[in-house]
Amino acid sequence: MVMYVRLTQMREGEKGVVVDIRGGPGIRQRLLGIGITPGTKIWVIKAGRPGPYIIAIGNMRLAIGHGAADKIIIRREA
Amino acid sequence: MGCCDVKNDPKISNKKGLKIVALAGNPNVGKTTIFNALTGLRQHVGNWPGVTVEKKEGIMKYKGREFLVVDLPGTYSLTAHSIDELIARNFILDGNADVVVDIADSSCLMRNLFLTMEILEMGVKNVVIALNKIDLAKKKGVKFDIRKMEKVLGVPVIPTNAKSGEGLDELKKAIVAMIDGKITTNPVIPVYEEPIEREIEHISKLLTGTVLIERYNLRWLAIKLLERDEEVIKLVLNHLGHGKMDEILQHISELEQYYKRSLDIVIANQKYEFIDNLIHQFVIHQGEFKETLNDQVDRILTHPVYGFLSLAAVFYALFKFVFTFGTPMQEHLDALFSNLGEAIAPYIANEMVRGLVVDGIIGGVGAVLSFFPLVFLLFIGMAILEDTGYMARAAVVMERVMRKFGLPGKSFIPMVLAFGCNVPAVMATRALDDERDRIITMLINPLVPCSARMVVITFLAGAFFQEHKALIAVGIYMISILLALLSALLIGKFIIKGEESPFVIELPDYLIPSWKTVIIHSWERSKEFLRKAGTVILFGAILIWYLSNYPVPVGSGLSYAEKLGKALEPFSMLMGLDWKAAVSLIFGIIAKENVIATYGILYGVEEGEQALAILMRNAMTPLQAFTLALVTTLYLPCIATIGAIRAEGGNKWALVAVVYNLALASIIGILVYHLGFFLL
Repeated sequence: MVMYVRLTQMREGEKGVVVDIRGGPGIRQRLLGIGITPGTKIWVIKAGRPGPYIIAIGNMRLAIGHGAADKIIIRREA
Repeated sequence: MGCCDVKNDPKISNKKGLKIVALAGNPNVGKTTIFNALTGLRQHVGNWPGVTVEKKEGIMKYKGREFLVVDLPGTYSLTAHSIDELIARNFILDGNADVVVDIADSSCLMRNLFLTMEILEMGVKNVVIALNKIDLAKKKGVKFDIRKMEKVLGVPVIPTNAKSGEGLDELKKAIVAMIDGKITTNPVIPVYEEPIEREIEHISKLLTGTVLIERYNLRWLAIKLLERDEEVIKLVLNHLGHGKMDEILQHISELEQYYKRSLDIVIANQKYEFIDNLIHQFVIHQGEFKETLNDQVDRILTHPVYGFLSLAAVFYALFKFVFTFGTPMQEHLDALFSNLGEAIAPYIANEMVRGLVVDGIIGGVGAVLSFFPLVFLLFIGMAILEDTGYMARAAVVMERVMRKFGLPGKSFIPMVLAFGCNVPAVMATRALDDERDRIITMLINPLVPCSARMVVITFLAGAFFQEHKALIAVGIYMISILLALLSALLIGKFIIKGEESPFVIELPDYLIPSWKTVIIHSWERSKEFLRKAGTVILFGAILIWYLSNYPVPVGSGLSYAEKLGKALEPFSMLMGLDWKAAVSLIFGIIAKENVIATYGILYGVEEGEQALAILMRNAMTPLQAFTLALVTTLYLPCIATIGAIRAEGGNKWALVAVVYNLALASIIGILVYHLGFFLL
């Protein structure tokens, strides 16, 4: 199983840790500000094309569009 | 920092030199509820100068003293990438606030403290943290040691539950004590890894020799430089010159190579690690990952099929709520004002003054006020959708569809409302998070046919296309909706360029709204509509009254309105429309249903649509009628809509809307008429 995937490749119920954010400064700052930074533990609540994807970070729930989700690199955790 | 100078709105002025309390915080933390609790009814909603971002100000009273409370836009951070964040950041940075109240959602503290750290990092000392939704945190199993938290953060922390009012007295007390200098703070500042810290120190030293030191916290400037913040780079470049700036940029590049990524990521990352360490010192028990009822509801409400169905149901309800209750009220107000006019008329001897007062002023004020119920009900509906948390889910469902046209999911709301009336629809663009999206949605909104235009469309379709009237009417609707969506693409590409905002949205827990907040807020927003749109509507009403009554009343062929129509005829004939159409369209600017009524006057038909239909059929071909219906739908927004656009976007965008719609209607009108002529 591939360890490093994009958020768009994750499946419902899977957990992982954010390792990187690609993309321009606009999208990066937006994701960083809302709490998606390398090291953040996430849990995928809703996945599947064409999005939006829903993830949990702690008690917070975020919906992320396909474009932005494709920029988030995750290390999958079993 | 130049971009957004904060001037005080004329409505609530700070002539008394009141001390200023600024409220900062993430979206969905209950900021508005706290604002209402602090200020009560002594508040005013407006816009920040020059932008479409809502600004709320109010007066807080405490033991006979008054303080000015300014509600800053809700933001997650303070970067230069969104207008909301820049407004909040510049307000704090320019030292406008005597106290900054940072409102944090205690059930989601990690992310909320990120903004706290950004504020403290600016070197602001007078900060009070309101740890809000404390009840929700308890429910989620999060416990705090408040004393410890105050010690660790170095600023006062007041647990609050804005909805029940818990902790609000303590909050006021802390704010006032801080203004009086009775509280000394020692704010914690995030510390980064050694290579970053070394560079911060290096840059700070370079900046020490400049006047920047008098106005800004140098450490903050240095951190923002590392993040390559555009505004700060410009600022520093002005004071430092290219030589030293290049040296700094060189250092930044080296550091980026060392970390193998942009420093904004590295700094945010380390800031979160720093916060994580802090939290462990005062959070006794943290809730754990578990699926909640919320998540299960979300799966349904954002589902591709069930999501759409529930969205349709919710919007049907919103539409019904606004127009079923609003339209009768609107009609009552209309009738009230025309009765008032009739009652007053006999008492005014001078014919001109009577006309001006009765038709111009009373009619105009009536027109303005008659929109108030619609706007007020819309704001209530929207506040309920927002406060319950449904708005975020609606945005998720519509995201995919609207994104194809370069718009976010939430722009669907104003589009739907426009079928009823464009005025509340334009006001609904407030729900959009991004300034660029807001303006585009506002500009295309008049292209969606409202119920007044439906009257014109169905009349002309019925009069000229008996057999295919439904097809023709639907066709006109389709064409205008298509044009609205294509316009969104076009405007986004050529007129308001800029990065499409990435779709990332928080899905707040479903909550029962605070009714007091919903009503106060909707009331204040509606009052702002009256104030800003009212002048335009009133002026338009008086102007049209003048044109149609001078030098002689319309119908004679000699009024200014008819002369204007005849002057415009050479142009309107390009669309196959004679001067009568031109005059009718001029009157349609007041309200689109006037287009047909004006034809009635021009043909001297007193009563009966049937008679008018026959007369018009003799004078016009079906193609001309089709073009007229289409042009009526597309040309100038009615005066109330122009007023609404002015209220939301300012004079500039109201003008753009007028020019764009006129140009589009002309082009389409000419095209359809000639194409039709050629084809038929």
